[in-house]
Amino acid sequence: MPTLRVDHAKCTECRMCYYACEEIGINAVYIDLEPRHRFEIDAHKCTYPTCVVCLMYCPAPGSIVEAETGRSLVPPPPDLWRDRSEKWLRDVILAAKERP
Amino acid sequence: MATILPGKELAEELQMASRPKALHTPMEQVIEAAAAQALTDNQYFRLVGQLWAMKRMYYYVYGAWGSSLTINQYPPSVDYLFAKQVYDESTHEMLYSQAILHKGWAKFQRSALRHPYCQFVPASGIGLYIFSMRGLANYAHSLRLAAIDLGPKVLELGWLERLAAASQDEYLQKLFASQVPETRSHVMMGRFMVERFVSQPVDVALCQELVAMACRDYTTALQGIADFVLAPAVSPPRSSRN
Repeated sequence: MPTLRVDHAKCTECRMCYYACEEIGINAVYIDLEPRHRFEIDAHKCTYPTCVVCLMYCPAPGSIVEAETGRSLVPPPPDLWRDRSEKWLRDVILAAKERP
Repeated sequence: MATILPGKELAEELQMASRPKALHTPMEQVIEAAAAQALTDNQYFRLVGQLWAMKRMYYYVYGAWGSSLTINQYPPSVDYLFAKQVYDESTHEMLYSQAILHKGWAKFQRSALRHPYCQFVPASGIGLYIFSMRGLANYAHSLRLAAIDLGPKVLELGWLERLAAASQDEYLQKLFASQVPETRSHVMMGRFMVERFVSQPVDVALCQELVAMACRDYTTALQGIADFVLAPAVSPPRSSRN
């Protein structure tokens, strides 16, 4: 599965990705424990492309990219704008809750 | 032309007065226990939970202070430095919250907020310190920043560095160590404020009094945390003065 990473040259550290990810209980966005406290994405917790909530809230073009291809996902490209109903959101939250 | 720094000597004096206290805070007991590998996972949870509770309450303190930062009272650099300090405290608050989730002590932030170890208890050492700091809202910004940055922040810097060194757990070691540069910058902000903006005799006297008071109340908060962490049986955190 493809994974996400933050492009620190473009990230504004607004924290929207962190709070959006935390709000739905996935907690894949974390603060790196080094003095600059940059935001990173834990590939083991992130459920992309099932969940794209961080991409939907990110305001800085190009700041979240697909790690494998380097493709910019902000603003989200058309293929990510599929039907994301309430049921989908419930499934994402339930999946997060069921993780050990 | 040399820059005029009316409060240069006072800033140095206040910082030097706080430094020895940084080596003798109640956190020493926790640091010693950590170094001796005598802290259980549950005790680390109590420690991080209470540090998180205290950091959350800084929003309450800084919110009150920020509302009285008036236009033209200080140059923009002062507003910027204060905003940066609020941002850093927010980052540290998030780091503690993240540690609780990372360690599996709580699954979600919501459940962490409800956990007794992470509660803010008004009648506690932390409560005393937080209400004391919020009470500084009516003082000039230079005085209250001096109080917190040349008092408690000097103490915090001292125990943070040593707790990081004493922690055997790599994650917790990094958690504490990564906060050191930002905390050190807060001390520098306090120094900057005093050097630039404290010159009147009445302000000098107030600075000395407020720094001593802030150190005293912060020490009470740390005593409450240390007691809570080191107690064999857990009860809600209460003030050591109660």
